[in-house]
Amino acid sequence: MRRVAISGIMLLGLYSLALSANGASIYAGQERAAAVCAQCHGIKKPSADAPFPSLAGRDFTYLKLALEQYRDKTRRSDIMNAIAGSLTDNDISNVAAYYSKLKP
Amino acid sequence: MKIIKKLLSKRIITSLAVLLLPISHPASSDDKLNAMHTLYEDNCASCHGSDRGGFIAPALNSESLKGRSPTSLRSLIMTGSFDTLMPPFYGRLSDDEIRGLVKHLQSTPKLANPKWTIEDIKASVKVYVKDETTLPAKPTYAIDDINNIIGVAARGKYGRGTGSKAIFINSVTHQIIGEIPTGTAAHIIDYDPANPRWAYVKNDTAEIFKVDLYSMQIVRSVKTGFNGPGLGVSRDGKYIMAGSYVPHNAVILDAQTLEPLKTFDLEGIDPDGKMVSSDSGMIIGTPFADIFAIALENAGQVWVVDLKDGFPVTKIENVGRHLHDAFLSHGGSKLMVASYVDSIVTAIDLKERKIIKKLEAGCVPHVGGGAAVEVDGRTLGFGTNFGDCDKMVVSVWDLDKMEVVKQVPVSGGTESPAAHANAPYVAVDIISKDTRARTIQLIDKKSLEVIKTLDVGGHAYFPEYSADGKFLYVSAGYSGDEVVVYDSTSLAKIASIPMESPAGLFSHGRVKYMTRGLSPDEFENAQQLKGAK
Repeated sequence: MRRVAISGIMLLGLYSLALSANGASIYAGQERAAAVCAQCHGIKKPSADAPFPSLAGRDFTYLKLALEQYRDKTRRSDIMNAIAGSLTDNDISNVAAYYSKLKP
Repeated sequence: MKIIKKLLSKRIITSLAVLLLPISHPASSDDKLNAMHTLYEDNCASCHGSDRGGFIAPALNSESLKGRSPTSLRSLIMTGSFDTLMPPFYGRLSDDEIRGLVKHLQSTPKLANPKWTIEDIKASVKVYVKDETTLPAKPTYAIDDINNIIGVAARGKYGRGTGSKAIFINSVTHQIIGEIPTGTAAHIIDYDPANPRWAYVKNDTAEIFKVDLYSMQIVRSVKTGFNGPGLGVSRDGKYIMAGSYVPHNAVILDAQTLEPLKTFDLEGIDPDGKMVSSDSGMIIGTPFADIFAIALENAGQVWVVDLKDGFPVTKIENVGRHLHDAFLSHGGSKLMVASYVDSIVTAIDLKERKIIKKLEAGCVPHVGGGAAVEVDGRTLGFGTNFGDCDKMVVSVWDLDKMEVVKQVPVSGGTESPAAHANAPYVAVDIISKDTRARTIQLIDKKSLEVIKTLDVGGHAYFPEYSADGKFLYVSAGYSGDEVVVYDSTSLAKIASIPMESPAGLFSHGRVKYMTRGLSPDEFENAQQLKGAK
């Protein structure tokens, strides 16, 4: 029962926080995450067999900064530099808002 | 369990490697080739085919990869491919391994069809529960009716590993009641029509698991080949038949012990007059008779196997070019078989064992589990198709007259329809590779028009109704990682059940309906026919 209920409760929780203080939209973030991040990090969590870190519940400011650094190549990772390169400032805020609001 | 699997796959690899390696090669080159082949088998083969000839994913050999840039192949393996099931291997394989694989695959032709004989099948039988009388007499969990079970073929992100499972859900409470690890991606779940406790799960590496649904555990397993989804159960529950893409064979097994009884080499003269060796397409048991029907994909033939001494075969030729899947109607006496290349669905009379008619079926028909439903006194069949051309329609056929009633325009290619006698809509999954893939569309049974599009998320596919018709289940597959449940009338979202890369959904109710959407009366009629026989 718990497993089924989680997403419902989570969605309710998310609704009240839909537009966070910094104006980022978790809905837009979820859409972008599904298209860009979920392949490795999962839309909620990465595969049990995957080597990728979970992003759910990570600090918004940290996620945003990390993505900006990956995009601007001040933080090096071939794969993240390539993937974050396609994100706009808005995308980064939205994606960071989405993952930071997810329950880990 | 894990150890047994490891041993099993080691043995296969060794036997394949023997085929692969010319004896004259120096040891170091042998070792390298061996290592690359092992890497391929352990990471790629369950989707791309053990013979490198492709399975649910494209072929990977010197011919198919000719002219492709090694750099782009390397980055594709690292990041995976969005909008497909190809996962990212970054962090799972080293950069050296990925480069080595690309080089190896681009220089190696498709392998010869590897052997997997009746002896190999026999030797692969594993017994997990020796004495089946020790199994509980009733389900060990609360469930009103075993038909309420919906089985999910969860692929797992990498098509293998801890995420690869058959997951069983109670479709009244939407709770998971059992999980069966399948090593590689679960592909097909079939149920024993005679004894409600047994389910058979086949994975992408052609292993079949006999599952006791009452105690939710594997009782036995067998490896019937290297790849191939074909699986059917006979109406009396005594036999199962499995077919492979690699190698080109099929086998009838004793359903109780999983011991192989007879193998069949799949070859025949195709509709163009050429003798060809063939992949196994769909295999189906029917409430109509003690037979299996099997589609020989490349040979364009349907074979009807009688379940009696020697398992004699009646061959129906010229069914269509590149056959794939099928569904039953009319008490199981009529079989509708999809032909990819001819874009038709061929109706076969299983009583006369001959073709009734070839019906227009959109563009590259893939009928999935099929759907047929009675509307205003007519039995209508619904045919999905990949729609990889300008025509994006779902075909509706009158299965009594065997004629096309309508081709309903939909928003993209489709792969599997779902219908239910008690549900007002026929659901089809849109699989076109853009945001449409997130959606399913609902066709009103009466008006035969699309009345709603649901944004499910992920790659939404394989809709299935609960046995009572009250709920519509859909897999939000690929990276969607959940099964979503809707009220089948209001279409409101009811529940979400998280799991890794869910794909096919299989209601236990199917044993009651024969084909999704038909009323249980259809099945009872068939039972009466059986009694009268």
